[in-house]
Formats: sequence, C-alpha cells, structure tokens
Amino acid sequence: MPSSRFPIPQGTLDMLILQIVSLEPAHGYGIAQRLEHISRSVVQVNQGSLYPALHRLEQKKWLRAEWRESETGREAKFYSLTAAGRKQLVVEKDSWARLADAVQLIFEEGN
Amino acid sequence: MIPQLTNCFRRRKLEGDLDRELRYHLDRRVSDLERLGLTMEDARRQASLELGGMTQIQEEVRDVWLTRWLRDFAYDIRFSARSFLRTPSFTITAVVSMMLGIGVTTAIYSLVDQVLLHALPVREPGRLVLVDATQGEQVADGFGGWNLMSYPICHDLDAQKQFFEGVFCRALTDVNLSTGGDYHPATAEIVSGNYFNLLGVQPALGRVLTQQDDGAANANPVAVISYDFWKTRLGGAADVLGRKLIVNMHPLVVVGVAALTFRGIDVGEVPSVWIPASMSDQVIPGYSDLRDSPTRWMQVLGRLNEGVTLKQAQVGLQPWFKAMLQRNMNEAGFPKITPEEMQEYLHSSLLLTAAPQGHSSLRRILVQPLWVLFAATMVLLGLACLNVSGLFLARGSARDREIGTRLALGASRGRLGRQFLADSLLIALTGGFLGAALAPLAVRALIAFLPKNTAENALHAGVDTRLLLFAFGVSVTAGVLSGLAPAWQSGRRSLVSSLQQRGGTAFGGVRLRKVIVTAQIALTLTLVVGATLFVRTLDALMTKGPGFVTSSMVSFTLAASRNGYSNTDGSRLIRRIDEAIRNSPITQVSAVAGVPLLTGGSWNNPITIQGDMRITTDRAVNLNAVTPGFFRTMGIRILAGRNFDERVARPSGEMGFRSAIVNESFVKRFLDGRNPLGLRIGVGSGPDVKTDIEIVGVMSDFSYRGLRDESEQAFVPFLEAGSGDATFYVRVRGTPESAFQTLRAIVHNADPTLPVMDLRTLDEQVSRSLNTEHMLATLSGGFSLMALVLSVVGLYGVMSFVVTRRTREIGIRLALGADRWSAIWMVLRDALLMILAGIGIGLPVIWFLGRLIVSQLYDVKPFDLTVITIATLVLGTAGLSAAVVPAHRASGVNPTESLRAE
Repeated sequence: MPSSRFPIPQGTLDMLILQIVSLEPAHGYGIAQRLEHISRSVVQVNQGSLYPALHRLEQKKWLRAEWRESETGREAKFYSLTAAGRKQLVVEKDSWARLADAVQLIFEEGN
Repeated sequence: MIPQLTNCFRRRKLEGDLDRELRYHLDRRVSDLERLGLTMEDARRQASLELGGMTQIQEEVRDVWLTRWLRDFAYDIRFSARSFLRTPSFTITAVVSMMLGIGVTTAIYSLVDQVLLHALPVREPGRLVLVDATQGEQVADGFGGWNLMSYPICHDLDAQKQFFEGVFCRALTDVNLSTGGDYHPATAEIVSGNYFNLLGVQPALGRVLTQQDDGAANANPVAVISYDFWKTRLGGAADVLGRKLIVNMHPLVVVGVAALTFRGIDVGEVPSVWIPASMSDQVIPGYSDLRDSPTRWMQVLGRLNEGVTLKQAQVGLQPWFKAMLQRNMNEAGFPKITPEEMQEYLHSSLLLTAAPQGHSSLRRILVQPLWVLFAATMVLLGLACLNVSGLFLARGSARDREIGTRLALGASRGRLGRQFLADSLLIALTGGFLGAALAPLAVRALIAFLPKNTAENALHAGVDTRLLLFAFGVSVTAGVLSGLAPAWQSGRRSLVSSLQQRGGTAFGGVRLRKVIVTAQIALTLTLVVGATLFVRTLDALMTKGPGFVTSSMVSFTLAASRNGYSNTDGSRLIRRIDEAIRNSPITQVSAVAGVPLLTGGSWNNPITIQGDMRITTDRAVNLNAVTPGFFRTMGIRILAGRNFDERVARPSGEMGFRSAIVNESFVKRFLDGRNPLGLRIGVGSGPDVKTDIEIVGVMSDFSYRGLRDESEQAFVPFLEAGSGDATFYVRVRGTPESAFQTLRAIVHNADPTLPVMDLRTLDEQVSRSLNTEHMLATLSGGFSLMALVLSVVGLYGVMSFVVTRRTREIGIRLALGADRWSAIWMVLRDALLMILAGIGIGLPVIWFLGRLIVSQLYDVKPFDLTVITIATLVLGTAGLSAAVVPAHRASGVNPTESLRAE
C-alpha cells in the first residue's frame, strides 16, 4: 500500500458509507471500490473494518440489506438507505460541516 | 438490546449470509486484480491481504450481532449445560434442591399474595381507606365482625367532600336464598347505594346498585348477583334480569350481574348477592330501621380525593368526629353510661387505615401465620442456595485441572467467575421453572388447610403473571447467591498451586464449605425449633381439648328467623324439633344452644353484678342460651348450685331471663371468692341495666369461641330466650354419618324449606377451629424435615470430601500406629465442631425470632428449653449420623494402598 494515502479519520467511515449508499444501493465490494474512487485514492479504508461497520449500520436500521443479482450475475448483498438512515446522514453531514468550520476558524485565528 | 436478543435465535442464517458476503467480496477482488494482469495466485494473496484476516472480520461482525458480554454469556450457558449433562447426579441433586426451595417459596407466596397483598380489582384501589374509631366510641350495641360502624356515620362521612370522593358501607350476612326451588344458605353483602359507583365496578349484565336503590326504606326490592352465582346457580341464564330471588322469604328482583373479576371486598367471604341497605329489615331478621340507628353493624370505607393523603383526612376529620360525639350524647336514645365510659367515649378519635385490599377477617386471622410460613420458606430457600453452593464448590475442586488450564491459557478471573455464575443461574432457573410448575399442586394442598367455604370460593391455585414474576425473581436471586461462593473461591485460586497439585485443591475450598455447612445447621435449627414449637402448641391444644365431650357428638344449626318466623313461632319450632330429636332412636342425649361453639364468634356483653355493691365487669362476658340438657349432653359439670328448670320459669307475657349459670373463671375474676349463688346480674353496663337474673349455678370452664379461649362465661336458659335461631348438639348412637340422614329428615318434617346448616361432628368442628395451628405445625414440620435433609446432605458431602482429601494423611497415621478409632474421631470431631458452631449461631437467632411468634403459641414459651433440647438432639443426631459413613470409610483406609496411590 502506498503510504501517501492517509487513514480514514475515526468515526467518519459510517458517514461515508451512508453517503455512498444514499446515491444508489450497493454491495460491500462496490462500496469499497467507490470509497476508493470517490476519495480519489487519498483515503485509505481498511477493508476489514468495512463489514463490521455495514452490519452495525444495518442493526441500527439505518441500512436495509437484500440479496439480489449483481452486475456480474452472481447474488450479492445490496445495502440501501432507510428513511432513518437518510435523517442520520443529514445530521452527520451537518455536524461534520460544523466541525470543519470550527477547525478552519482555529487555523485562521492562528495566522 | 432487543435485536441483539433476536439475533441469538437466527445465528445460523446470519453466519451463512456473512460467509457468502465475504466470499463475494474476495472473488470480485481476485477477478478484478486478474484483469489488471496479476496471476491468479498473486491476485488471491493480494485480495486477502487487503481484506485482512477473515476470522477477525467474522469475530468483529459477531460482536455487532450480539454485544460482547451477551455472546460470552451465551457461550457460558451452553458450556454449563453441556457439562451438567455429563454429570447427571450432581445436576439432579442441585436442581431438586432449587426446585424444592423455589417451589415451596412460590406456593406460600401465592397465598401471601392472594390473602395479604393483592389489591382489589377496582378503580384505583390505592385511594381506598377503612374508617374506624379508637376504643371508647363503641357505646351502642353491635353485631358482625370487626371495624363496625353505624350507617348514619357512613352517611355523614359521605358528605365530607373536601376529603372523600365518597364513603360507602357494607355488611356481610348469611341468608336463606332460593332461586325458585330449594333454599340454601348464601352470603349476602348489604351495601350503601354508592358502593358500586365508588368502587368503579361495572355490571356484566343489566345494572349495578345505585343511590336510588338505597332510597326509601323497604321500597326497592332489588339485588345484584355475582358472576359466579349467575354461572353456577342460575346456569348463566340469559334472561336472568327481572327474575325473582327469595331472600329470607322476601322476594328481590335481579337487576344486574356484577363484573366477572369482582368478588366483593373481602378476600375470604365472596358474596353471592348484593342488596341495598334500604332492604336491611328484610334481610336481617330481628332488627328494624338499621339505617337510622346507632347500631354498629357495617364496615365503612371511603375513597380519598385525588391528592388527599390519609393523614390529612384523618386530622381534618377529627373536629367533625368530636362534634358528632357531642351531638350523639345529647340525643334522646343515647345509652346511659358511667362517667369513666363517658370520658373514654369523648376521647375516642377517628382512625383511617389504607385499605387497597379491602376488609377481610380471613386476613386478620392469617396475617401472622402466613408471614411466619413465608419466612420459613425463605430460610428453606436460603438452605437450598447454600446446598447448591456447597455442591458447586465440591464440583469446582473436581474441575480444578480444567480451571487451572483455563487460567494458564489466559482466561481472566472475572471471566471464570462469570462462568460459575452462569452455572448457578442455569441450575436455579431450571429448578425455578420446575418449582413454579409444581407450585399449583402445593397451593392446592395449602388451601386444604383453610376453612372449606373460604377455600372453595375465594382462593385459587392457578399461576398468574405476578406469581411467575416472583418465581423468576427468586430464581435469579437464588442463582446469583448460590454462585457467589464458588465465584469468590475461583477468584482466590492460585494458578501455581492448582497446577502443582495433582487432582488436589487448595484447602480454602474446604474451609468455605465448612462455613456453608455451619450456616446450614444454624438455619435448620431455627426451622426445627419453630416446627417443634408449633407441634407442641397443636399437641397442647388437642390434649387440653375443648372441655366438653366431642366423641359421638353431632351438631347443626337452624335459622328459623331467616325463614320468616317470628320469635315466638321460631322458638316453638325449635322446641318441636328438639322434642323429635330427643325421642328419636338415634339419640342418646341432646341439647340446644343459641350460639354455636368453636366458631370464633360469640354473643358477648359486659355484665352488671349486684352484690353488696353494684359493679360492672371490666370486659365483655361470653353469653349463651342453652337448654337444661346442655350440661349433661356436653359432659360439662355443674360444680355448685343447680341446673336450669325444665320449664319456662317466668310468667307468660313477661320478657327476659330469670336465671343464669356462670363458669369458674367468671367467679374467679369478678366475684373475688364470694359465693356466687343467689347474686343478681344484668346484661349490659349502663346505670339503667336491671339486675334481675339470679345466678343459680356454677359450671366448669370449657372453650366457647375457640380452643384457646379461657373466657368468663354466663349462660342463660334457652327456653326463656324465645328465639328461632339455634344450634343442636346431639350425642348419637352408632356412627355420626348414619345420624345425619335422620336429623335432616326430622328438620325436613318440621319445615321442608328450612336449610340444615353446618351439619357435622363435633370432632370435625374441633379440628376446623384448629385450622391455623394444623397448618403451622404440618407445614413448618415439613419444612424443617426438608431443611434437615438438605443440611445432612451438605454435611455428608463435606465430610466425605475431607476424608478423600486426607486419605494419605490418615494412611500415614495408621501406618505409624494410630488406631482406627482415632481416624473415626478425627472425622467426627470435625462434624461435631460444625454442628456445635451452627447451634451456637442459631440459638441467639431463635431467641430473637421467638418473640415474634408468641401469639401463635399455646402453653409453650418461644425459648422453651425442652423444645430447644429436643431440636438440638434431633439435629445433632442427624448430623452425626451423616458423618458416620465417611468416618467409617476413614477407619477403613488401607495404609499401603493410600501411600502407593500418591
């Protein structure tokens, strides 16, 4: 693994997953691919932590899962966003934005 | 929490899905990498490297499914269950211990709950209060049970709207009831018109009684019947509304059926019919205008307003109450009383008690016995827990190697402790489940100890949610408690020592087990002493007997007044029946009494005695009216003076009694050695009481209300009472059962509509009056037997373990020349020490607890030395015999073999 990619900040994985799934239902491998793709290969997701996160979100009823045919013709487990998940995504985006603004403010103050 | 729990049950599917999901990921990645030009082998390696360890992901996902501790716990339980199945004898012993402990506790709790704790099934029972007055207010006559007040008080209190939403009153009475055919005795509840409305009880059919029904006297001949009565006596007829009931020969129209769940406000006495107080003249013969009289005959209950506390109401009502006392005193009909009584009267105050469970005389009788028994079962349960603890400790030492290995492999002590907890919880829950399943049987057996009519009507043996919750709570508590000792022990275990010793254990395990056995012996001693006390009490009461003959005696009661007889006609009828019985070939001797004996109740009143000076008895004297044959029939001796005349002595047209026979206690307490014969007495305490009854005789003491009764008594001639209500006492030839038929026929012959009540032998009446004592003696005896078995098993377990542990030491001693008796003594001394220590701990506890049960005892002190000696001997013998077997084994140790084994 190239070391130029930094590891994903703690606690943001859930938000990213919700964001990706909000565009369209996706299976685990697809989510992993898109995570890499969207973040233009700058965020390194430990793929091992993806599945526990998916199951956690499913258990919290933010994601819904169903088995259906994937693009290769094989059955895959597709995750899609529930209404509660959509609400959660808004909340997380909002708090992320506020955190980012706050951090920005602190940096500007320092200058 | 909920999704995690449901996940427990769909493990397999979840695992399969996860497996498929991860395999899909890997396969896709491999084929993508191959497309980028890697060889299949490289692609495989690369893909699984990126994903990380499969097992680790699976584990992490499993943690999501079930939170960590839940998963561990599930493993523990499964592990426990598997190891229990491998050691069935251990498992059965432990489960049976728990089953006994929890089953018995649950059964007794079922009665405690039903009789003592259960709130009435009415609207907000928490706001109900019982209204009574402190001693001194009771100057007016009364009849009935306890907490008696008059109807006018109830009516006035109902107007105190700043405290009460309303106040109602009720009285229970027995009536002769016919639905068209035969007459049967039944229980009726006479109620004020607001009774149903204030309780919030709805009709199942028709309507309930209302304020209008309690309007003008005798103008509303209506009744509401109970659901049970409707179903059993009327076959659940749909057209029951408008039907006629004949209550004491008066027709009442059924206007409604009460809700299924409502069984009156007395858990021991379930009424068949509710009748408005406006009809009390019809229902209670011999009284009229009860609603306007100061006669005390009803219990008064109120519903407090929302937000008003009992205390506020009690304090706030005193001015009203005092004013009422003053007002009453100035009224014309107020009885003449002495100045002291006047003082007491004016100082009495109103007393409110919370009554969410209603009012019950059964509760009054059973409250102490039931708590005593409940405490005994708790002790038994504690013993069962200790037993299971001991068994676990024994098993723990057998599992030493396993545990040592687990520790060595890095299991934390907490984790191991949790395993022990899972073990004991599993045992306790299994035992609890079985115990709860057996509880209904036990409850049915318990109810058999109570008076029959109560058992049939009022109490049920079913298992409801409350009981299940109780059993579950008790099981979990018992599980945790019995798991504490083994868990603590495992926490102290030293890893090194447990691996060093081959198949052995640290000696701390034995010490803890000895402590447990000592505690068991202490607990058992309290139960054995308690049981011995109750058995002695029962025995003393049975030996003492009622003071009159009971064998070959039959009694039954007639209430002619309830069949519309006037006093004159009724007394004529009774005399006719008495004649017929005396002339019957089945009869040896027979007699009539106005009030039945040994039923708990009596006719009582203070007595005014005119000797050199006029005195009034300081407490009520028990009165009865009997025929002259009574003394001979019952085998009661007339010690001085004479019997009553065979014929009415007073001139016709004149009322009242002319002669009386008092008992020895009466003479001893009130006459102070003076000659009673010729003294004149009167019934009542006021200055107006005429003392025109001459004491003509003195009779020996005998029991009236019950076997414990040692009261002062004064009996008057039944023939002068002129009453149609009487109890017959007949000494029969042949078996009592064969006499029943003849007696019924004689009554039927005299009046076919007159029900024969309480037809039974006097022996049965005696044993009925000892219901509570029987229950206490039998149950506590049974409990202490169980306790003995449990602690003997515990003692045996420890001692045989000790012998096994010390085989080598014993072998060496024997090889060095010690004789076999010293080996036996070594074991017995250990056992004896535990037994003595247990007794030493138990005695102060018994001394302390004994004072709480004094009122249940008879002719024996709670800390009776004989009793304690007997109990100690029983326990000591049982304990030592449990130690004899291991001791014998110790003496049989073969020195050579025991040394070679090491």
